[in-house]
Amino acid sequence: MDFIIPILFLLASIIGIVSRKFSYIMIILTSIYFIFVCFNFNILSSYFILISSLVWIVVGLYSLSYGNDYGKWLHILISIDVFGMALILLSTNYLWLITGWEIMSISSYLIIGINKMINRPAFVFMVFSEFSTVSIIISAILTFSISGSFAIESPVSPVIYLLVSLGAFLKMGMFPFMIAEWLPIAHGSAPANASGIFSATMTLMGVFLIYKMTLFLRYNVYLQYIGLFFLITGVITLFFGSIYAYISENTKMLAGFSTIENQGAILMAFGLYLISSNLLIKDFILIVIIIYSFAHSLGKTGLFLAIGTSGTEEFATLKQKNGKIYNLGLFLITLSLSGLFPTIGGLATWMLLESFFMQAYLGGYIGAVAIIAGSILAISEGMSSGAMFKIISFFSSKDNGNAHHKRLESVVIFSLGLSLILIFIISTLIVHSPFVGGNPSLFIPNGFSIISKLNSNIFGILTPFYITGLILIITLVVYVSFGNPAGRNVRVWNSGIPINEKYTSFAYSNNIRLMLKRILQKGINESEQEQYLVPDIFWNKMNRFAISLRKYSRSFSRHFMNSSILWYMIYMIISFLAIIVLAINI
Amino acid sequence: MSNQWFIKGVKKEILTERFPQFPPEKPPLRPSLLKGSTNFKCPVGALNENKWNPEKCIFCDKCSMEMHFTGDQKLFKINRKMNVFKRSLYIYIIDSGTCGACNAELLNIFSPQYDANRYGIFLTNTPRNADVLVLMGVESEGMKSVLEETYESMPEPKCIVKMGTCAISGAGIDSKISFLESDALIFGCPPSPYTILEALIELKGDKP
Amino acid sequence: MKYYKFNVRDGYYIGETGKFSIYEKGMIRRDEPLERLQIIPKINDKNHFNFQYGPATGGLIEPLDFKIITNGETIKGIIVNPYVKSRTMRCLNKTIDECLLLVERINGYHSASHSIAFLSSVEDALNIDIAEGTYYGRIVILELERIRSHLFVLKRMCEPAGFGVPMYQLSYINEIISRIISDISGHRYFFSTNKLNRVDVDFGLLSSHIQTLIKIKREFENIFNGLLESKIFINRLQENGIIRDDPLIGPAARAAGFKRDARSNISILPYKELNFEPIIFNEGDSFGRFYIRGLEISQSFDLCINGLERAKHNEYNYNNNFSGEGAARLESPSGDLFYYVNIDHGLIKDIQMSSPSYLNLKTFMKSAINTIFTDFHFNFESFGIWVSEVGVEFI
Repeated sequence: MDFIIPILFLLASIIGIVSRKFSYIMIILTSIYFIFVCFNFNILSSYFILISSLVWIVVGLYSLSYGNDYGKWLHILISIDVFGMALILLSTNYLWLITGWEIMSISSYLIIGINKMINRPAFVFMVFSEFSTVSIIISAILTFSISGSFAIESPVSPVIYLLVSLGAFLKMGMFPFMIAEWLPIAHGSAPANASGIFSATMTLMGVFLIYKMTLFLRYNVYLQYIGLFFLITGVITLFFGSIYAYISENTKMLAGFSTIENQGAILMAFGLYLISSNLLIKDFILIVIIIYSFAHSLGKTGLFLAIGTSGTEEFATLKQKNGKIYNLGLFLITLSLSGLFPTIGGLATWMLLESFFMQAYLGGYIGAVAIIAGSILAISEGMSSGAMFKIISFFSSKDNGNAHHKRLESVVIFSLGLSLILIFIISTLIVHSPFVGGNPSLFIPNGFSIISKLNSNIFGILTPFYITGLILIITLVVYVSFGNPAGRNVRVWNSGIPINEKYTSFAYSNNIRLMLKRILQKGINESEQEQYLVPDIFWNKMNRFAISLRKYSRSFSRHFMNSSILWYMIYMIISFLAIIVLAINI
Repeated sequence: MSNQWFIKGVKKEILTERFPQFPPEKPPLRPSLLKGSTNFKCPVGALNENKWNPEKCIFCDKCSMEMHFTGDQKLFKINRKMNVFKRSLYIYIIDSGTCGACNAELLNIFSPQYDANRYGIFLTNTPRNADVLVLMGVESEGMKSVLEETYESMPEPKCIVKMGTCAISGAGIDSKISFLESDALIFGCPPSPYTILEALIELKGDKP
Repeated sequence: MKYYKFNVRDGYYIGETGKFSIYEKGMIRRDEPLERLQIIPKINDKNHFNFQYGPATGGLIEPLDFKIITNGETIKGIIVNPYVKSRTMRCLNKTIDECLLLVERINGYHSASHSIAFLSSVEDALNIDIAEGTYYGRIVILELERIRSHLFVLKRMCEPAGFGVPMYQLSYINEIISRIISDISGHRYFFSTNKLNRVDVDFGLLSSHIQTLIKIKREFENIFNGLLESKIFINRLQENGIIRDDPLIGPAARAAGFKRDARSNISILPYKELNFEPIIFNEGDSFGRFYIRGLEISQSFDLCINGLERAKHNEYNYNNNFSGEGAARLESPSGDLFYYVNIDHGLIKDIQMSSPSYLNLKTFMKSAINTIFTDFHFNFESFGIWVSEVGVEFI
């Protein structure tokens, strides 16, 4: 394994003890180097490395200005976090994978814990993180028992696949664990740049893990059921994530639930991959997942950074003082997260829906399942558009010029937004044949179109370059021929008296809250205000579970580990004997 | 059960009267055109220089010895006909300080007996869709700015109608509405639906 | 001052005049200014915003400045300014006749109630003996006005429900009553009809209209029963704007179960002779107020026809130079209406009026909390509020 890059990240954390800026610069430089060498690895890892490194570069640049408000601990812990993730990306066997996974979890826990000095969210986070590590450890043991080595790239049985997926689910925030990991982040327990890293790259690790396992799956008759299980879990996560995102009054919570919703979509794609029997669709889906991860990671990073720059977590206390560049960048980012052209998010949404269409076209019971899942996917895409519109309408403001000290942050956000369009234009490079083509008779050269196929005929076709070009050209033509539209300024009619009210974000999403009153029960928080935070009810259950676990483990430890040397000796002897017995049998 | 109202409505047949093609069936005595000798000290000063000034008259019948009511409901004056509204006229009402009777009488022109809708006269809830602004009542402090704001919001072409003695001259209670020149004046305290309907029909350049 | 005593808090609360707080049988001087009409939610939720309704809007007949505090759909608080349309009536130092011209134009729709209440207080001040024919004449025209006013309220309640047919049928009946009134008195709103100890109405002509009145009564009861069977309409009214606690007057009080009616608890007019009993219901919501009004219309038709037998036009002339103090309370279609006058040598020295619409507006505000805006109009119209009688100042 190539050790240079993880060591460089570790170096960044050590530098961080001395200088904040150099620590972030080290992260940026190492990520750039990582991109250069990533194509030496197998094609799968290289894409995920590319996405992660881009995110780290952006976060690093942003943190040069944003990280000023935080203590030493932030950049040190972020570097260690990134170090752990680099280990995961480069690992070829389970031992390094588990090491990287644990390092990532612990540093994330510390970032959340230290930031707000609230023990509870961080503690619950830790509990469920450990579950994910445990399930990966168990699958490592099973792999060893089956194939004799800890290498990840060995043939995978369904049990191992499920266990590893469970570990990944917890990191991706799948139902019903969406509360365990994401609510602490959503409650603002992490600073914006760390939230960006969690949301974009930590979830990416989960996707990466499942992706790798999927490629080495042996055929098994139970795979259909696993696929169905993935599909159902993904659908529930997707649907509820999109609704909670739309009705949330906390900006970070909105972004957190949007992450969960996107991860649900990716899981649905995995599920469809397992269920489907058409090889072309399966290939297509694998590409979809990469592009979707691309769009989601970059977009979500940008969203969290933009929220960080705005300086507040609640819609109600938002002061709109951001400049033109910030607004434009945020607009492009929300465009991508809503799944609209000409951004990469639009391409990802199109491709995902295409795969469900194609499967539905094939008919049968799988086709029926695909129709239902595809419809719910479409509904959630709509709700996510609503949530993104909520953000852009309440964040953007009249041009006030750029606040000087936030210039770097605004530029970073704008370039991220712009890159989403640029990546869309060059997306045909990521998609490979047989899904790339052209139509020279329509002046579309070969290699410019993305084609979806389920047999030798073309099913759907999309030409990113031309879409972007058309949008730009038509806008230009209209502007040149009609000029700036001349308008008539009229006073607002407010029943005859001057207007001085503001439309609140609570009222914006209240239609959905009221429509889904039955599902979303009302809760009352400490200050006796009405709250519509259903996640709080889930949260309470999870919290109670974690506390009872702690109580149980305490009583267990008091009972069995009662600090008597005699008992410890007995335990050691028993475990020794057990290992010897196992080793002999194997 | 759900269409009982439809049946009930159809059973009643047509209740609309033939006014203004035919004379009014039950015109009130007050208000109506006055005739007689103007030799009386009117409490609001509507009788002077041997003329009866309908703009100030509140039709209180104190001058019943000298003047008598004819029952003629043509108590209006059109300064500017708006033929552009011949097909349809949308009314927006502003009440600046009435006693409530003018409001009720204006709403009464939509009762089945009068049915202003058959002449294309409609009420609207916002000045942005309105063609004519009907002003009623005396001028009050709170409504002055509202009046101007409303007039600003109306799109061209537009016109103003002042209805009732309060709006036209104050009716001896308070000051009149001093907003712009009006295109039509409807006298009366309150003007009867006959008067209002005929005035609006003439305002929009329609033939009865 | 036969009916009222100073500085006594006797009976239920009626309302406020410029200087006094009025109760059923007593009036107390009030030194503080009137409190602002507002209900603000106790919790200052940053998600609340103000929704401006009025003063110039299509849903209200008269201008009222509503600021509705809401978080999206439910009304959490409300701030009302009913003084957008305020008028000053120059009544002081005027003769009774001149003052009467202004009093009947305080609320034109309830003009007879206002003028009769004012005249009753003047007659109380001057200690005039009223002729029997005048008493019954006043009952007749008050009941006619009550019929028309209640019909107007019912018609306004059908409108937001989109119930076009009953709304227009009620308008039709309303117009017939207006024409009968204009036939017998010369004016559609009883202007210049009531004088001191006199009612200038042609009762003989009204007697010939009795068959028409009976026919209209039957027609109305037909429409009313049809409305009571329309579940979708009644559904909009039930549980909408429930208010059961004091202070309440008028149909709102009778709908909530209080036996409060100035026709029976003060003996200015001889309703007792006509065997009048107020109608009580036990649901304090919009449906209750709707139902009470419907039943009272039928009751008023009967009272009118029965009172007609003894109503007579009476000639009366009075001395201009008397002095005295008098107060009288009357049941206008919306509730108790109170007048107090102090006359000095034939000129008005002081005049105080308490109209039911002020208290009705306050009651409406309380009942609107925690309802949703789509139910606003039903609730508002059910109280029969006339803003013109709220913002009146006598100088």
